[in-house]
Amino acid sequence: MAQSIIIIAEHFEGELRPVTYELVGFALELQKFCPAKIKMLILGDDVAGLAQDAATHTGLDVVAVIVPALTTYNLEVYKGILSERLPDLDPVYICMAHTTQGADLAPPLAVRIKAACITGVVQVSGEKDRVSFARDMYAGKVVATFESTSERRILTLQPGSLPSPVFDHPAPVAVETWTATYLAKQSMSRGIKPPKETNAALTEAEVVVSAGKGVGKKENLQIIDNLSRLWPGSAVGGSRPVCDSGWLEYRQQVGTTGATVAPKLYVACGISGASQHIAGMRGSGFIVAINRDSGAAIFNVADVCVVEDLITFIPCLIEEHRKQSI
Amino acid sequence: MASTNIKILVCVKEVPQPEAPIGIDPSAGWVQIERSTSYRINRFDGFAVEEALLIKEAFPDTTVDFITVGPDRSAMILKRALGMGGDQGIHIVTDGEGYLSPFVTAHWIALYARGKTYDLILTGVMSEDYMQGQVGPTIAEFLSLPCATATIFERLSPGEGEVYVAREIEGGFRDTLVLRLPVVLTVQSGINRPRYPSLSNMLRAKRQQMKTIAAKSLKQTDPRQGVIGIAYPSKLRSGQVLIGTQEEKARELLKILSEKSLVQ
Repeated sequence: MAQSIIIIAEHFEGELRPVTYELVGFALELQKFCPAKIKMLILGDDVAGLAQDAATHTGLDVVAVIVPALTTYNLEVYKGILSERLPDLDPVYICMAHTTQGADLAPPLAVRIKAACITGVVQVSGEKDRVSFARDMYAGKVVATFESTSERRILTLQPGSLPSPVFDHPAPVAVETWTATYLAKQSMSRGIKPPKETNAALTEAEVVVSAGKGVGKKENLQIIDNLSRLWPGSAVGGSRPVCDSGWLEYRQQVGTTGATVAPKLYVACGISGASQHIAGMRGSGFIVAINRDSGAAIFNVADVCVVEDLITFIPCLIEEHRKQSI
Repeated sequence: MASTNIKILVCVKEVPQPEAPIGIDPSAGWVQIERSTSYRINRFDGFAVEEALLIKEAFPDTTVDFITVGPDRSAMILKRALGMGGDQGIHIVTDGEGYLSPFVTAHWIALYARGKTYDLILTGVMSEDYMQGQVGPTIAEFLSLPCATATIFERLSPGEGEVYVAREIEGGFRDTLVLRLPVVLTVQSGINRPRYPSLSNMLRAKRQQMKTIAAKSLKQTDPRQGVIGIAYPSKLRSGQVLIGTQEEKARELLKILSEKSLVQ
């Protein structure tokens, strides 16, 4: 039987998440090293329309896996169905997004189907039979190249690492439909709850001044506030650790678990630049990073790097600006 | 589970403190971290420790054990965790400093936990150094337990033998579910505010029996994957580094921003 490269589509509130198309790009990269057929699986109780859309858009084989009553992602159900169905497809690679869904599903599914599991992949390289996968480590300070000797590999792709391919009017393809049932015995989904607060102030601002753990203590956030006053209408954001400490509200958090922002100017103050943060701000027009750690990963995405302690540098910057304004 | 006699295992990992320089050892194909570097509990695991201790406060018959897989040095973070509270530390001692596959780590922890009737196994959503997020869910699968990752809220109902969990998913949404105990939860940061170790607990921790197991005495397993090289990340943007005194850097920055009409 022919080998396959499987994409597990991700969908939410009746739409495919954009990362699903990045997974198509990822699968096409893998196909360069492995002549296997790409197949996308979409699981849910009402996914026939989504499957048709995905097939029309990409020209790939798409399977609508109809699972009655599966309205949201559920690990036990996904794992149960996929571990039963995947071996028949002889998958060399199973591609998922490195989201809260993919990160939840990939490791246990790998154990079940005796696959390797490499999470947060940002790049594929290599040659035939020797393919390797790059992923960030140590808060993005280094990139490690991984290899696996397993015959099956589950890979989760860091969203935003690869562009979505451009599909040029692909030939029409027929969507396959499977029906699967799986009775969850250990976990019952109780629904998805929307966020309590909006982060519109952050996502709509033209300038975002962001604080990381490098601010040291809550009182020092005054320095960040003072800096933000240089730009009327700017917003103050922060990294997750700053929000976890209660120094800022979660609606101010920038990153994969918070807001994705793309202002004209992003000023990162004392932010180390872990990949989860960078994923939320890499699309900014111009990025200034201030950090006393010259090895901080934030400098790799910055247009201008200031290796200084923000506690002394920012007041100095504000003072220089004041001098120039009078 | 009829009684409220709850057994919790918390998996913790040591990580270098965040500002430590991360070097590269080309001959080993792995990172090189200076000997003088201090290590601490992975930040995400700190939230898992705190969550276990909050459960122990709510259900006083609870026992909380901490387990780590790492070199000799890692004993220190078990003491630190015991300083926050809890009952016992288990150290699976590894040789060397190389990359350890999450399959291997999870396999050893699962070997220890099997048959010990833990009701709850907690760990952080990922480690700050490897950032794989795999050990928790892999342990769950080895033990055939249900699992929820990125837990941002949990409410234990020992009488019913279940736990209500909210997972933090993209965009601030929460995916809620009820899981049958025993269960593995990986904890997202912000679920609580981890306490500081107390002096009395730290003193008690020193005397407490710490169980040590040599990793090489345990059944070995196929790591399934390995690291073949390591490099510094390429710069995605020009990354102009400003030079001079603070004042000179400030003036240069203002000039650049002004030229781009990014400051008035």
